[in-house]
Amino acid sequence: MRSPRILAAAGTVAAAALVLTACTPGGGSSESGSPDADATVNVGLVLEPTDLDIRTTDGIALDQVLIDNVYEGLVSRTAAGEIVDTIAKSHEVSDDGLTYTFDLNDGVTFQNGDEVTADDVVWSISQVKDDEGMQGHTDLANVTSITATDDDTVTLALSAPDSNLLWNLAGRAGLVLDEAATNDLSTTAVGTGPYTLKSWKQGDSLTLERNDDYWGEKARVKSVVFRYITDANAGINAMLAGDLDVQTAVDANLATQFDGNADIEIARGKTTDKYTLAFNNKVAPLNDMRVRQAIRMAIDHAAVVKAVGGAAVEQGGPIPELDPGYEDLTDVAPYDPTKAKELLAEAGQSNLTLDLTIPSFYGTSVATLLVSELEKVGITLNVKSVEFATWLNDVYTNKDFQLSYVDHAESRDFGNWANPDYYFGFDNADVQRLYQESVAAADPETAAAKLKEAARIVSEQAGADWLYNAVTLTAVRQGVTGFPTDSTSTRLDLGELAVQE
Amino acid sequence: MIRFVLTRLLLLAVGLLVASALIFFTLRILPGDVAQVIAGTQSTPEQVAAIRLSLGLDRPILVQYGDWLGGLLRGDLGSSLITSSSVADELAEKAQVTVPLAVFSLVIALLFSVPLGILAAVRRRRVSGTVVSFVSQGLAAVPAVWAGLVLIAIFAVWLGWLPPQGFPLDGWEEPGRALQSLVLPSLTIGIIEGAVLLRFIRSAAVEASGEDYVRTAAATGMTRTRALITQGMPNVALSVVSVLGLQVAGLIVGAIIIEQLFSLPGIGRMLVSDVGNRDLTKVQGELLALTAIVLVIGTVVDIVHRLLDPRQRETA
Repeated sequence: MRSPRILAAAGTVAAAALVLTACTPGGGSSESGSPDADATVNVGLVLEPTDLDIRTTDGIALDQVLIDNVYEGLVSRTAAGEIVDTIAKSHEVSDDGLTYTFDLNDGVTFQNGDEVTADDVVWSISQVKDDEGMQGHTDLANVTSITATDDDTVTLALSAPDSNLLWNLAGRAGLVLDEAATNDLSTTAVGTGPYTLKSWKQGDSLTLERNDDYWGEKARVKSVVFRYITDANAGINAMLAGDLDVQTAVDANLATQFDGNADIEIARGKTTDKYTLAFNNKVAPLNDMRVRQAIRMAIDHAAVVKAVGGAAVEQGGPIPELDPGYEDLTDVAPYDPTKAKELLAEAGQSNLTLDLTIPSFYGTSVATLLVSELEKVGITLNVKSVEFATWLNDVYTNKDFQLSYVDHAESRDFGNWANPDYYFGFDNADVQRLYQESVAAADPETAAAKLKEAARIVSEQAGADWLYNAVTLTAVRQGVTGFPTDSTSTRLDLGELAVQE
Repeated sequence: MIRFVLTRLLLLAVGLLVASALIFFTLRILPGDVAQVIAGTQSTPEQVAAIRLSLGLDRPILVQYGDWLGGLLRGDLGSSLITSSSVADELAEKAQVTVPLAVFSLVIALLFSVPLGILAAVRRRRVSGTVVSFVSQGLAAVPAVWAGLVLIAIFAVWLGWLPPQGFPLDGWEEPGRALQSLVLPSLTIGIIEGAVLLRFIRSAAVEASGEDYVRTAAATGMTRTRALITQGMPNVALSVVSVLGLQVAGLIVGAIIIEQLFSLPGIGRMLVSDVGNRDLTKVQGELLALTAIVLVIGTVVDIVHRLLDPRQRETA
């Protein structure tokens, strides 16, 4: 059996090595000393979960801290997007793609001491399958039955092949919970992971502690304290003052405050954070493709990247580099204000005024840039800064908007472009067909190829403008190793986290 | 006097009832709802509807208000729509940060505003008095966030004497650390509130120094300053007490802003996050508790005022 955590670790170490060589020319810091098993690591995070109920409450802030650390599934995702077995010892997919067989590891226990049985696995997945109120319910749409074929084997039967299934099982849908446990999921958690949830002080912090009875390779630090710091400056100050050992999602425009501090390294990591300028494709004038294209060509994406402190790469289509189906589409709508004006004239739009709805926590720098960029081609942009709950109501649910700006952080969320009821209102038969073909594909290569084709269409039809794909900065204190640096806003697998004495 | 107190208490009860209705119904105007926040951005309308149903949000709004009011009369502030935790418990926990913060801020404000206010009044025709007035005018206009950032930059980042943000994980178990983490936030609010207070005290003292009784006292051989302090102070104290009642509202607003800036887990930060999540039963409970504090203090100030002021005592 190949240990999943080691594979993940290899990736992290490689990434860390790259970072070190990039940041400290003339030789990286040598890691001396032995790991401190009693260490407590203080980690600064930005977004706090609203509730800990992993079954019903949405939000990547919850996945970020609990999945892989407290809760585990049959399989997990690595930082590089690979699927590895976790509670499953191995898994097998039948040739027709309709049967998934998971062989379970022996001796896996929940944090309350109960042993994990095949029945727990069946119960956990069936719960999500049967209750449409549960997060991940739609991810199991193709699953027809979940059965324990024997004490160590669980079999899933499908009505149609689903190339996303393993990925989905590595998310909320595949987590294994204890059928016999009666704890309140809103404020406590019982999983099988290397850390237990010790406490959650809402509005302040969440503390994990090493699970000394972990069935796999044990965590290397005694505890991890996540401190929720919404103010970007406060996070940096806490890091500088030594209150934090790691600060995630450092604002690139403020990162220079760490310059010259030999004790703190800044790691740059890839993400699937797609900062999306969404168009309401269903309403005039944005139902006219020329108008949408004009807006895309009016925006200088290099300037956008600069406005966010350079912590971004240009993204020309709906799929980011970390996800399958990626291709560089930045040449589909190159920066060309003159062409943009022509397109607007062709569409019969002069003195166009558009509303942009943006949740207030994104700040104003990008919105301000958009106002000036669009003004140059004759579009007046009204920026409506709203609370996120208002955005959910007006834009997401009621689709009462023209332009919207949010970060779509989830990985592998291309399906939104194949769903005409999603708030994008993007309705293209070819994209829907290709997406279905991708889901039904027997092998990952075919699935990715179909997505790539579909993504190009979405970009060519100017379904949205992707302002940038974020690069995430993580400040790490010297001596702390094994902290993930890619996609830190969606997952933080701390299995390899260690502190050198 | 007893009749006066009873009238004030009745007014307080009516005030709280009106506040409960205002809070409840204005919050219902906010766009967005908690079911959408729970269900998130990968949800279907059916999921959102199911959550609304399970939280009882589909019931008529008057029924929901009646339920809440009924709970309040039994002393129950309700529970969070998201985590089901008790609002009273949460308030009690966060009050361990916010109440000390407010008290320290007030103490700091009084400590420098009373002596400096009197100084500014006594020396109003000299340079020192003008400088105090001028500086206080400036400080009163400073935004709290900016003042906080300056203090952080000097005392936490540059000198490294005090923590720049946060509150100890174990709360008041280590009183020294807890106190340390409240110094800069309290200073921020205290200086700004104190600057406002200083101007009130100065003008009250200036007014008092022109009164006949101070002049008469000065005529007995006291210095003018001494006459003002011994004879004029009771009147200055009266106006300070009245203003303090109003300052409490300012302290609460200050705490909301400052808790964000310093990442303090207090009532203000909880309120902002609950509004963002549209956890309306929690927001209602929090706002009503804050309103109650302001109204109760206002009532107490009224009664104390009556006790301090012999003129009002007699007419009662």
